Amino acid sequence: MPDMSAIANPQQRQFNPYAENGGTILAVAGADFTVIAGDTRQSEGYSIQTRYASKVFRLTDRAVLAVNGFAADGNMFVKKVKQRLEWYRHNHAKDMPLRSIARLIQTMLYAQRFFPYYVYNILGGIEEDGTGAVYSFDPVGSYEREACRAAGAAQSLLQPFLDNQIYFKNQTAARGYSHPAHLPLPDVLSIVIDSFTSATERHIEVGDGLEMYIVMAKGQTLPDAVTNLLPEELPSTGDGERVFVLKRDLKKD
Amino acid sequence: MSIMDHNGGSVVAMAGKDCVAIASDLRLGAGAMTVAMNFEKIFPVTDRIYLGLTGLATDITTLRDRFRYLVNMFTIKESRSIEPSTFAHLVSSTLYSRRFGPYFTEPVLAGLERTPSGGFKPYIAGADLIGCLNFAEDFIVAGTASDKLFGVAEGLWEPDLGPEDLFETISQTLLNSVDRDAYSGWGAIVYIITPEKVITRTLKGRMD
Repeated sequence: MPDMSAIANPQQRQFNPYAENGGTILAVAGADFTVIAGDTRQSEGYSIQTRYASKVFRLTDRAVLAVNGFAADGNMFVKKVKQRLEWYRHNHAKDMPLRSIARLIQTMLYAQRFFPYYVYNILGGIEEDGTGAVYSFDPVGSYEREACRAAGAAQSLLQPFLDNQIYFKNQTAARGYSHPAHLPLPDVLSIVIDSFTSATERHIEVGDGLEMYIVMAKGQTLPDAVTNLLPEELPSTGDGERVFVLKRDLKKD
Repeated sequence: MSIMDHNGGSVVAMAGKDCVAIASDLRLGAGAMTVAMNFEKIFPVTDRIYLGLTGLATDITTLRDRFRYLVNMFTIKESRSIEPSTFAHLVSSTLYSRRFGPYFTEPVLAGLERTPSGGFKPYIAGADLIGCLNFAEDFIVAGTASDKLFGVAEGLWEPDLGPEDLFETISQTLLNSVDRDAYSGWGAIVYIITPEKVITRTLKGRMD
């Protein structure tokens, strides 16, 4: 007599290929710079896997990519984007322009339309015309150029704060004055640091450390107020755009 | 979709220096459809206590009436008006009496508490739908935009704000939060409670 229990009691097995690893990323574009930031906590559920896992990566001298969501997918995606950018360098003897990287990321994400990278991407850097730019993506490649964007676990906490502080939403300028289209770098850094300390305070998946990448347009130097914070300059290939990294501690509880 | 989100709406309260503020949006919805843009969620309890109720609109109305009755009974029996800390526990026990069939509402209250020396102390409190009290010294948020309110309030609030600065802080917090929430907005109202007077202002906000 064959075993009939499998028919009498149907069993179901499932493998979930995705996880949610918490954390938050944020980018703000200035007139001639861009700041791309992310916290360094990586968690699964209520457990912290590590207090230092980078979510922000330099792609070229003028492009920085922040990835948030499923960390394994994020790391793999960054690896593949870097590989495509290297091929581009070999074929064209120059770095890919920022807007082209944005379009490349769209096609790479949409190529996985039916088994997506579970990742929200924010690309920041300097355009060919020397302006700061931020591109934000959904997991299947829908994207948009913006002046600022938050994504990840604390997106809902940070985005309305940025609307208010970067876009001056719900604020009326005094008579005869208007709000600036772009803020200076020291102001942006203060807002970014405040944003992450706020998110750390009120969201359990945010904290431990903060990494801020600053991309400066060609010929631009850091203001003294920022140089005093002792940012690390990453080695660049030419005398064009420059990339700096600023690290800060966040609360670990 | 949770029953707590069906009608939408958000409330925030903040403590300042010798003053408190409480503010809410004015939307009443049925899921994604907006039904009314004049649905007030904050009610005066005494001269110095205001109660905000978020959640299911029918329970907001019921509880408003119930608390009015309970506070009237207290005032008659005790021949004095109720203090904020006493009222907070009245709210808590009323909600906990329905522990296993709760009112689907999260209350937020703001008031000025009498001190033994005869002065006033800012008092704000919140509770979950079964009456677990939350005494905060900075701010209390509730409603469908609560996560946004937490983020903005944490960024904007600072200690010892005067009435006008507190008004600006709570107004900016509310407006920018509800603009990112599809279930809140469509106008807003702010109450600033000081020992001398209560200032009520209706805010012009985005109507989309």
